[in-house]
Amino acid sequence: MLNTKPSDRALPTFITLLVIGVLLMTFDVRLAGGGVVGVLRSGTQEIVSPLQRVAAFVVTPVANALDSLSNVASLREQNAALSAELAEAEAALVSVQDDLAKLALLEQIYDLEADGGELGQTVANVIGAVDAALIIDKGIRDGVVAGQPVIDTNGYVVGTVKSASTGSATILPITASREGLTVLVGSQTGTLVSRPFSSELALEMDLDVFDAREPVLAGDRILTSSASTDYPAGLPVGEVVQDASPESTSLSTTVRPFVDAESLRFVVVLSWPPDPVTAATDDTVPEDTTGTTFGEDATTTTSTTTPEGDG
Amino acid sequence: MRGRTALIIGLTVLIAVLVQTTLFGRLQVVTPDLVMLVGILLALTRVRTEAVLAIAFLSGLIMDLLGASLIGLRAVVYTTVAYIAIRTKERAELGRVTIAIWAGLLTLLGVVLLLLLGTLFGQVALVGEEGVSVMVLVPLANTALAALLAPTFVRWVDRDRTALRYP
Repeated sequence: MLNTKPSDRALPTFITLLVIGVLLMTFDVRLAGGGVVGVLRSGTQEIVSPLQRVAAFVVTPVANALDSLSNVASLREQNAALSAELAEAEAALVSVQDDLAKLALLEQIYDLEADGGELGQTVANVIGAVDAALIIDKGIRDGVVAGQPVIDTNGYVVGTVKSASTGSATILPITASREGLTVLVGSQTGTLVSRPFSSELALEMDLDVFDAREPVLAGDRILTSSASTDYPAGLPVGEVVQDASPESTSLSTTVRPFVDAESLRFVVVLSWPPDPVTAATDDTVPEDTTGTTFGEDATTTTSTTTPEGDG
Repeated sequence: MRGRTALIIGLTVLIAVLVQTTLFGRLQVVTPDLVMLVGILLALTRVRTEAVLAIAFLSGLIMDLLGASLIGLRAVVYTTVAYIAIRTKERAELGRVTIAIWAGLLTLLGVVLLLLLGTLFGQVALVGEEGVSVMVLVPLANTALAALLAPTFVRWVDRDRTALRYP
């Protein structure tokens, strides 16, 4: 039997809750995610994250199995494409090894030493997602704090840490961020912004270059700029999809990010800036932040980085 | 709302949040909004309407706090959907199929509201990713889940084996 008569207090309660909700949204906008709102967020994550870890441990095999079932139709094509990519990557690796050998020889001849700067990396498992945000199993006790940049295991930009609790953190991908990302395309600096209602099949972002001097071409790589306050310079973000020429002094085009955040299982959180005081004058960039992680559990590692010029 | 009912509802919401943020957060094909569905189905129970609204609000708030969207966004949406569910639940009494369709339509309303509020507050890139497919897949998934789970859920919360039994 149903209780079909709504209480007389339903409407006042509803209106009160709506007002509270709107006030909370306004506070969140005004505080930009910090202050009381940030404490509330990390406090909730603190309570729920242990349960999420347990739940993730149970449901991950189920999720993987269902994902595999949904992808089984395109498996053959994916295998062929991956084989081709592997062959190309192996060829590129050989040429890079040649370059590294030459570099080592030149460093030896001129008695050069590596910079020695180190950038901590925390490899984390993605244990869940809410909307476009990812939840990872590493938090403050692993050195993960809000604002740090996040890349995938291939070194491509994923996003930033939105909030962190002791044992977990929330990652906001660049494709879902409201804030523009300062990037380099060739020698030009532009702003990359997310595109609303972007779909998985056509995951795209908008690039605006306001001081355009030359056209950009499809396939041009987009890298993080040293002007960015959120990322070290030189990290690959995506590639230009359409050719575009400057109109007056500005230029707009479409960019496809290298990373589809939804499909990530592991991410790497960079301890950047290593020293906030010197970061303003330091363009340190990881030379090689790659290293595919295999296995169930991610670990915390530290890698050596070398400086690179802007872009 | 008595202690045992409160415990059952709290446990249900917690399980819904955990399953939503872990299993359904990772699947790209099956994407119900389990937490919203709990708020909708609670309207069918004998739980007091104010309590249903408060539970919907709190469960939305928890989802907001666990994600990266504005705090209060889902809370407002879930509360609105729960309120409309309370006001329209008479139409869902006809049978299992009507309950499923009713829950699906309310979910569609919730998804549209979420996208609308998300757009107004500049959150559309976050909550509106794959907006069009979300507007189709989430209500469909919730319709199927409501058809499967609604009678069991109501009987469990109300501890009444005769609830929602249709010839």
